[in-house]
Amino acid sequence: CDNFLDLKPISEETSDNAYNKASQMESALVGAYETFQSAEYYVWDHVVFSDVRSDNAYAGGDNPEVFEADLLRVTPINSRVFKNWSQIYNGILKANTVIEKVDLVTDPQLSDTRKGQIKGEALFLRAYHYFTLVKLHGGVPLILAPTKSTDPNDVRVPRSSVAEVYQQIITDLTDAANLLPDYYTDENGNDLGGSTNKARATAGAANALLAKVYAQNKDWSSALAAIEKVEKSSAGYTLLANYDHLFDGEHYNNEESILEVQYLGTDEGNFGPQLLLPPSISGDTWRKFVTPSQDLIAAYDAEGDVKRKGASVLFEEVSWVDEYWGNAAGTSIPFSYKWKKAMGWASTDRPYLIRFGDIVLLKAEALNETGQSGTALVELNKIRSRANLEAVSGGLSKEALRAKILLERRLELAQEGHRWDDLVRHNLAVSTMNDLVEIDLRTGQAVNYNMTEAKMLLPIPQQELDRNPALEQNPL
Amino acid sequence: SAEVSAQNTIKGSVTDQDGEGIPGVTIQIKNTVTGTTTDFSGEYRLTTKSEEDILLFSYIGMITEEVPVGGRSVINITLKEDMIRLDELVVIGYGTQNKKDVTGSVSVVGSEDMESRPNTQVGSLIQGKVAGVQVQSSSGKPSQGISMRIRGTNSINAGSEPLYVVDGVPTADTRSLSPSDIESVSVLKDASAAAIYGAQGANGVVLITTKKGTSTKPSVSLDVYGGVNEVWRTQEVLNGEQYRDLMTEMGYNTDWDQYQNNTDWQNEVFQTGYTQNYQLAISGKSDNTNYYISGGFTGSQGAVRSAEMNRANFKVNLDQEVNDWLKLGTRVSYVDYNDVDVKDNQAVNQGGVLLGALTTPPVIGIYNQDGTFTSNPFQDWENPLASTDGSTRGFNNKRFLGNLYAEVTILKDFKFKTNLGIDNNADKYNYFLDPYRTSYGRALNGQSIVSQNNNTYYIFDNTLQYNKEVNNHKIQVLAGSVIQKYHWQSSNIERRNFASDAISTPNGGSEIAAATATEAEKANTSFIGRLNYAFNNKYLITANVRVDGSSVFGPQNRWGVFPSFSAGWRISEEAFLKSVDVISDLKLRAGYGIVGNDNIGTYAYMGKVGTGANYPIGGITLPGSYPASIENQKLKWEESEQTNIGIDLGLMQDRIELTADAYIKRTSDLLLNAPLPRSTGYDNAIQNIGALENRGIEFNLNTVNYDKAIKWTSNFNISFNKNEVINLVGQEIYTGSIAGRGEAIQIKEGQSLGAIYGYEFLGVDPRTGNAYYMGGDGNSTFNPTPEDRKVIGNANPDFIYGFTNTVSWKNFTLNIFFQGAQGNDMLNATRIDTEGMTDAKNQSSAVLNRWKRPGDQTDIPKSSPGNTDNSRISTRFVEDASYLRLKALTVSYTLPQNVTEKLSMSAARFYVTGENLWTLTNYTGFDPEVNQGGNSNTVLGIDYGTYPQTRSIIVGANITF
Repeated sequence: CDNFLDLKPISEETSDNAYNKASQMESALVGAYETFQSAEYYVWDHVVFSDVRSDNAYAGGDNPEVFEADLLRVTPINSRVFKNWSQIYNGILKANTVIEKVDLVTDPQLSDTRKGQIKGEALFLRAYHYFTLVKLHGGVPLILAPTKSTDPNDVRVPRSSVAEVYQQIITDLTDAANLLPDYYTDENGNDLGGSTNKARATAGAANALLAKVYAQNKDWSSALAAIEKVEKSSAGYTLLANYDHLFDGEHYNNEESILEVQYLGTDEGNFGPQLLLPPSISGDTWRKFVTPSQDLIAAYDAEGDVKRKGASVLFEEVSWVDEYWGNAAGTSIPFSYKWKKAMGWASTDRPYLIRFGDIVLLKAEALNETGQSGTALVELNKIRSRANLEAVSGGLSKEALRAKILLERRLELAQEGHRWDDLVRHNLAVSTMNDLVEIDLRTGQAVNYNMTEAKMLLPIPQQELDRNPALEQNPL
Repeated sequence: SAEVSAQNTIKGSVTDQDGEGIPGVTIQIKNTVTGTTTDFSGEYRLTTKSEEDILLFSYIGMITEEVPVGGRSVINITLKEDMIRLDELVVIGYGTQNKKDVTGSVSVVGSEDMESRPNTQVGSLIQGKVAGVQVQSSSGKPSQGISMRIRGTNSINAGSEPLYVVDGVPTADTRSLSPSDIESVSVLKDASAAAIYGAQGANGVVLITTKKGTSTKPSVSLDVYGGVNEVWRTQEVLNGEQYRDLMTEMGYNTDWDQYQNNTDWQNEVFQTGYTQNYQLAISGKSDNTNYYISGGFTGSQGAVRSAEMNRANFKVNLDQEVNDWLKLGTRVSYVDYNDVDVKDNQAVNQGGVLLGALTTPPVIGIYNQDGTFTSNPFQDWENPLASTDGSTRGFNNKRFLGNLYAEVTILKDFKFKTNLGIDNNADKYNYFLDPYRTSYGRALNGQSIVSQNNNTYYIFDNTLQYNKEVNNHKIQVLAGSVIQKYHWQSSNIERRNFASDAISTPNGGSEIAAATATEAEKANTSFIGRLNYAFNNKYLITANVRVDGSSVFGPQNRWGVFPSFSAGWRISEEAFLKSVDVISDLKLRAGYGIVGNDNIGTYAYMGKVGTGANYPIGGITLPGSYPASIENQKLKWEESEQTNIGIDLGLMQDRIELTADAYIKRTSDLLLNAPLPRSTGYDNAIQNIGALENRGIEFNLNTVNYDKAIKWTSNFNISFNKNEVINLVGQEIYTGSIAGRGEAIQIKEGQSLGAIYGYEFLGVDPRTGNAYYMGGDGNSTFNPTPEDRKVIGNANPDFIYGFTNTVSWKNFTLNIFFQGAQGNDMLNATRIDTEGMTDAKNQSSAVLNRWKRPGDQTDIPKSSPGNTDNSRISTRFVEDASYLRLKALTVSYTLPQNVTEKLSMSAARFYVTGENLWTLTNYTGFDPEVNQGGNSNTVLGIDYGTYPQTRSIIVGANITF
């Protein structure tokens, strides 16, 4: 009767039979990419913890935990922090599974070239997630293989140092860049096009991410070397001529995109846009999230940046009150507008994971930091001219040009989850937030953000500390 | 030979004390299989072989008589009614036993208990009737099933509900049973009683036996009742002007002229519900056939708008004695069950109806001019009628439950029984949200969901029984095997984007949002053995063993062996007590046993790889997989080790009956879904970790207080249980999330399950109006850290009790049933939402006392928009939820026999019942008898806008023809 009891799952695979065939390995890899859809951090929490946390936007909406992010009062029990931590580590598990299993596949259908690519894609994904974590929390547990035991000694992994995490990211990305193609081809060698090349990690994506990693560590020359590889990639990354096309929902997988989260609508839809878009588009009458700040709108206006303001922000009269824009119903308030389609919680709109415009500005920044302000200006003005802004001319000090470049990044990349990292990179987070004047109309007083060095990092989630006594909390 | 010559035909009649012939009396020659039964008029005829033969006359409810033949050819006998209830047969696992021989802890609820309280489900009828059994209905919804805990919660993640066995077929959901069909319920509480069910018996076993025919004359019985129900308490909330003041103070301004309504949302949401029930049964028996056929309908509309439940039931029970060695029988029931659920346990933001009724401001009406539902003036939280009326939500379950058995008397003393039981049920949920009236419906352009489950189950058991009585030795041996198999199939489809509301099925929508179907299986194989031995009716021993195999565990740990042993000593049979008239029965019982639990997910030991992590690449969606669980070949049976000692005492011809039991249950190798650090990528893994203990004492007292023209009987039962987590290998587990405030339940070694966890609220600072709390250093603080949280309440009652009094006089009977729980705390999380003042929700009147200006002395902090610091989970919201309630009061009148005879009825009874007429509690919420966590093992004692128990009045009749 042991046969009677020896049942196998009908609707699930098991670790014994799930990774044997080439197609199963592809499926495990697809599952690893899916974290970009299922982890809320990559849907819209990256905007909350960058733009809302910084000077770009207010929380909007009605969620106390998003208010915490806005007002720099994130506590260790903030459930969004824990959710993001958990979902990103789940993405790391999926990547680790692919990295471990792909070498064991004996199916002749899986060529050595494809094996290498699969490994490269998974290494890239792992690096992407660790880069996210190290920026949010500092040093985190560095887990490089799937967990197979539940023994406390095996699962209670302490934090690695920030440097160790970055070292692993650099190693993974360097390996990935070597294993990955510039673009993917079918069996006849034909380019599969943007819908594949912007969905899968490529050598260009690995080098671009490497550039961002080096830049965040102020290793400017390494960053420049990586950027050079991106520029030389046969994928042919270029700035789109028209900034509007980046965010009009009509030019997905364009030439400026290096990697973007793929959404097709309906069951492969993005719920994020419905949270942000105004009543005229979403059909909702409830208060929306991520309201652009007075300070951001003022920055667009001061620069005369009509083009990018128009592509990024939409003003609309609303029935609710807003504590920063109008304390009476019927005020016109701004909405985050880089996504333009709500589509009933299942939008086709996408977040860029890496886009070339960011890399161009990063190059300007690195050139300036390495004393090459002339060439820096060339890069900067590529971005400015596209935005119909007059070119910045020479003669600025390094500091003044740095500020100019950071402002450019702010206006170019608003609502794309970059602002906080930019402030932290140049140690400007404390001063910027404490100097910020945002009037809460309910009290008539400026908000006291009370920013400190410690708040540059998010706390380690309390729920994780409860599960793993080997962890130490960040200074709060 | 002498024997042949002694062959003799005996005839006679068997009558009752009134001289009426009794049909169906069994007459058997002692120690043989030869026998017969009396005919319709009570006459019998039987051939004996020897003058030494002894005839046994037996009939249920009568005292068995032994009569030596002694050469007579006519033997007339009068059987006496069995007044001593000790000779009652008690249904136990795979058989019955005389109550006096029972050595385990078994409680019985008989049909008379059922009749005194009309109810739509059997679970409710056990509440308060059995010591050691905590029956909880986690809400008052008509569709709410019950959660039963026999001697406490035994597990953390594995199921803690007892096994229900209906006429030999295990089942999980008892909502589909009609109480009218039930003859008796046996609750097997300790390991020695439950061990025959081994793996499935860890949480106790509830054996439900349905009715059989009892008289030769076909009996037709009709049960009818109808009634009304409503919530017994409402909450006071802010009126329009007070709401406007609060909003203005919080900085929310609007054009208030648009909001001039005065809607009482509780009045809109609560309604007078009704219940109706009709059951018709025909039963009877002839020489060799016994039948019971019933059909009925129950309909119930809830006290909260749109909640309802309907059930149609049909049942056939049939037993046929084919010849003197073969008996066949079947039990078949078919039930069609429908309900409409309302969303509770949620904030208005998530569509919770109860919290919606409290936190929707009165200033808005129900509908906008365009027919859409109104929303809060400041945020698009729709009014609660959008939840009750905005969608159609129909659940239907069709269930076929039945068995077929054959009983063969092989040799003298041996009986073989084979039984095949099945439970096939299919349920279907239809949901439709039109594209117009609700905000979510408009965003999706309409949504239609159909989910279906098809579940099949069979059990095949074969048992051989040996019964032997030699001199003073009585031996009963049972051996057998059981196999069980479950198969689950479920599918779900969802479409969106509808052209109109004219089509409500998914085909009307253009976008497929979900389309999936899955299957799973589970199998169990078991071998059982039992020995009952009695010597001299004084010394009783029961030993059980069950060997269980389960597909849930890996090959190395698939099998578990679960033995038990119990003994009884009937001291009252000893010479030194036989002469003491006042003691009619005294028995000591002691038992020890181990039972197992495998109530966890299927294929639990395997490293499962899930599907559905799909992602578009190249413009099409590719299939994606993900690691779903960690393989664990070491996973094995959770074991509960139980020790029970008990005493049964009957005094004054059993006018006073006392049963007392004390027990310790220790569950080890707990099947715990232990949290893992999320850095592993997993949330948790099922492991055999830790231990849990329940210990307690329970008393049951039945008394006949007065037995003259007026008869007054009482039952009182009380149970004390203490639950403790013994070992969790140092882990702490947090659960029971409250929106925006973290988790409210801590599971930790040394504490009981249901420890409410949070901050200690110290008061409101008169200067700033902010709440201050106890900090870890013993000083008060406005900003406590998570480490400053501690246990601030215990959801477990110190004791639970039930008290029933029945007084009959002439044809009137009065039944009063009180039931209560003492010493349990509740986190009134509803108040976090209604007193928190963090957003634009309407609040309870309590906030009129909020801090407004420096110097105010109050215990309600100031309003704090967008900030939860003043409304953390704290002692401020923990309340004593002890209660005593008049659960049921029934007055009934039975028509005198001369009247019923004229009407050609055999009996007619009319009654009025009031349920929950009176409640004594300090709890301030809607009702103390609720739980957000439903039947969860760990989320206990939280009320978060939970549907309350209702008060009802029912009028009914039982008529028999």
